[in-house]
Amino acid sequence: MTRVLLALAMVAVLVGSAGAHTLSSGYVELSSHDRAIEGRVDLAARDLHDALGLDDGDGVLRWGEIAAHADAIRGYVTKHVALSVQAGPCPLVLGALASLPRPDGPHVAIALTARCPGVADPVVVDYRAIFAVDAQHRGLVRFTSAGGTTVAVASGAPVTVRGGEPPSVIDFVFEGVWHIWAGLDHICFLIALLLPAVYLRGRDRKATWQANPELMPVLRDVLEVVTAFTLAHSITLILSTVGWVRLPTRLVETGIALSVAAAAANNVWRVVDARWAVAFTLGLLHGFGFSSVLAELGIPGDVLGRALLGFNVGVELGQAAIVALFLPLAFLARRTRGYRLVMYVVSVAMVAVALHWAFERVTA
Amino acid sequence: MFASPTAERGRKRWVFGLGAVGLAIALTAVATLAPSGRAVVTGAVVPPADEVIATVPKADPARREAEVRAAAGDLAAAIAVARADIGLGRQTADPRYLGHAQAVLAPWWNQAAPPDQVLILRATIRQALHDFTGARSDLDGLLARRPDDGQALLTRAVVAGVVGDRVTARRDCDAVTRVLGELYGAACVAPLAAAHRQGPAAYHRLDQAIAQARGTAAASWAQTALGELARANGDDDAAELAFRNALAVDPADLYTLAALADLLLDAGRPAEVVALVGDPTADNLILRQAIALTRTGAPTATATTAGIRARVDAAIERGDALHLRERARFYLELDHDPAAAVKAARANWDIQREPADARILLEAAAAAHDRAAAAPVLAWMDAEGIDDAILVRARRAVEGSR
Repeated sequence: MTRVLLALAMVAVLVGSAGAHTLSSGYVELSSHDRAIEGRVDLAARDLHDALGLDDGDGVLRWGEIAAHADAIRGYVTKHVALSVQAGPCPLVLGALASLPRPDGPHVAIALTARCPGVADPVVVDYRAIFAVDAQHRGLVRFTSAGGTTVAVASGAPVTVRGGEPPSVIDFVFEGVWHIWAGLDHICFLIALLLPAVYLRGRDRKATWQANPELMPVLRDVLEVVTAFTLAHSITLILSTVGWVRLPTRLVETGIALSVAAAAANNVWRVVDARWAVAFTLGLLHGFGFSSVLAELGIPGDVLGRALLGFNVGVELGQAAIVALFLPLAFLARRTRGYRLVMYVVSVAMVAVALHWAFERVTA
Repeated sequence: MFASPTAERGRKRWVFGLGAVGLAIALTAVATLAPSGRAVVTGAVVPPADEVIATVPKADPARREAEVRAAAGDLAAAIAVARADIGLGRQTADPRYLGHAQAVLAPWWNQAAPPDQVLILRATIRQALHDFTGARSDLDGLLARRPDDGQALLTRAVVAGVVGDRVTARRDCDAVTRVLGELYGAACVAPLAAAHRQGPAAYHRLDQAIAQARGTAAASWAQTALGELARANGDDDAAELAFRNALAVDPADLYTLAALADLLLDAGRPAEVVALVGDPTADNLILRQAIALTRTGAPTATATTAGIRARVDAAIERGDALHLRERARFYLELDHDPAAAVKAARANWDIQREPADARILLEAAAAAHDRAAAAPVLAWMDAEGIDDAILVRARRAVEGSR
C-alpha cells in the first residue's frame, strides 16, 4: 500500500505544483568601465543556507547568523563566480554583505570589484554557485557598460556578456574623422607643416620664400608630409593600443603641444626644409594621443583590430578633407604678399598657443 | 515702454508661476517616461543581527546524514532524500525542492539508463518542471521493462493526458485499474472522460469507488478529481461538496484550495475566496487571492498584484516557462492586458493541453477580440469532441466576440 500511496503523492505533485513559487535564481549585477568592474552577487538567503548551513537549526535564519558566516560566504562566491576577459582573469575583491529583498525572496548581496587585464567588455562570467544543491538554479547576469546593458542566464556553463552590439568599423571611422577635426592640436600641426608647401624648396634658406610655379611639386610636397605623418601616427597608434609601448598621457599631450610649436616655428625661422621628416618624427607622438582616445572609448577586446582599422581610416579621411580644403586656396594665393603674411601671423600665433597648451598640460 | 514697479512684480510672479508649472510638468514627464525597472530591486541594507531574514528547513540530522551518503554515491540514500524533497514540493508547492531532488540525484541524472528507481523520480521531476518529452521517454523506457509498475503507469497517464495523447492515457488508466485497483483507475480516467461526453458515467464510477474506499487517504485525494469532474459536467454544487470533502481531510492541500477558489470566483463569490485562502505563500493561491481582492474592491489588491507582477517579471527574466498558464491569467485578470494574455496562453498551449490551458486561451482570445488566437483550442475541441461545461461556455464567449 505504501507504494500505491507514493504513486498518488507523486501524481499530486505533478498536478499540484503547476502554480507555485519561483525556482531559485542568483543575480550577478556588473557594471564595467574601462578595465574596472564593480557590482554585486545576490544569492537567495535560503540557497546560501542550503549550500553552507547558515542557520543554527531552528529554521529561522537571522541576519546575525548570515553575518557570522560572512567569510565563508565570500569564500563560496570566490570559488563559484569567476570573471575574465580575453587577456585573462579579473580577480574578484569581495566587499560587505547586505540584505536585499527581491521579488523571489530575501537575498544576500555581496559587493564586488574586479580589475581586468584588458578592457572589461565583453566579459566572460563563469557562474557555478548553488547548482550543487539545486539543479534548477540559474544565474541571471546583468551587465552594463558604455555600450548598454545586457542580460544573460547562466545555467552551468560560462556566459559571455557585452554592453550592447559591438561597434562597427564605420563607427570607428566616424570616431577617427571626428577626432582629427575636433582635436585642434592635430589640425594645427598639419596646417603648420603644409603652409610652406607652396614655396620652392632648398633654395637659399635665408632668401625670401619663393612661390613654386608648378602644381606637381607642391602636390608631391603635400603628399610627402601627409604620408609621413600618417605612417608615424599609425605606427605608434598600433603599438600603444595593442599595449607594446606605453607612455604617460601627460608626457604625450605636452609633447604634442610642443610638436605644434616646433612645426610652426619652423615656418618663421626655416630651420628644416624636409618637413616630411618633421611630420614623421613628431607625428609619432600624435599616434600615442590617438590611442588614448581609443582607450577612452572602452574598446571591447575582441573588436580591437576593427577599431584600429576604422579609427585610422577615419583619421586619414579627416586629414584628407583638411588638405582638400587647404591646398586649392593656398595654391591660388601663393604669389600674394598676403599669403606669406598669413603664414607668418598664423605660425607665430600657433607657437604662442601651443606653448600655452604645453604649459597647461605640464602643470595640469 | 515703462512698467510700473507693481506691474513688474506681477509679471515676475507670472514668470515664476509658469516656471514652477513647467518644472512640475517636466518632472512628472520624467517620472512617467523613465524606464521602470523590470525586477524591482530596492536598496540593500544591513539589518540588525536579530532580524529574521528567511525561514529555512529546520535542521534534520537524519536527512543531513542521508545527504552526505548520497553525495558519496549511496543510491538508496539519494533516492530517499529525493523522495522526501518531492514530498516537500507537493506540500509547499515550492518547485525549489524539485531542483534539490535533481541535485541529489546528480550522479545518476545524466546516465542514459539510470536505475529504475532513479528513472521514475527523474520522470516525476521532469514532468513537474513541464519537460513532458523527457518524462515520457523515461516512463516509456521504464514501462518497457516493467509493464505493471503502477506508479509509472499512473504518471505516464498524466503526462500523456497533459500533452493530449489520449490513446496512451486511456490505455494506461485501464492498466492502472488492473494493477492498482478501481479507485485509482476511476480517478485516472476522470479528466479524460470529462472531455469525451462521458462525464456523468465517469462521475458515477468515481463516486462509487470513493464510497467503497471511504476513510482511506487515497479516497480523500480522489475527491478532488471528483470535484473537477463535476465542474466539467456543469454541476458546481456537487463539485463544491467534493472539494470541501477533500479539504476536510487535508485543509492545506494547495491544489484543492485553488480548484475551490476558481469555482467560487466563477460563481461570483470572491469574498469567500479571500476567507478560504487566508494568507497564502503559494503563488497559485496568491493569484486567486489577488483576483478576489480586486473583485471585492479591497484596498490591499494593488499591493498583492504588484507582488505577483514582480515575480512574473523575475520569471520572464529567468526564461522560466513553468507558470505560463498562471502568467496568462495574471495578464488577463489583473494586468488587463489581453494581448499579453493571448501570447502567454498560446505559448502555454504549445506545452500543455489540459482543460485549464484551453480555458485561459479561450478567455484571453475573447477579451482580446482575437478569435483567430483561439483557433487551435476550437479545433482541438471539435476533433476531440470536448463537452466540458466550462470550456463550452468559454467557447461561446469567443464565438460571440467580434
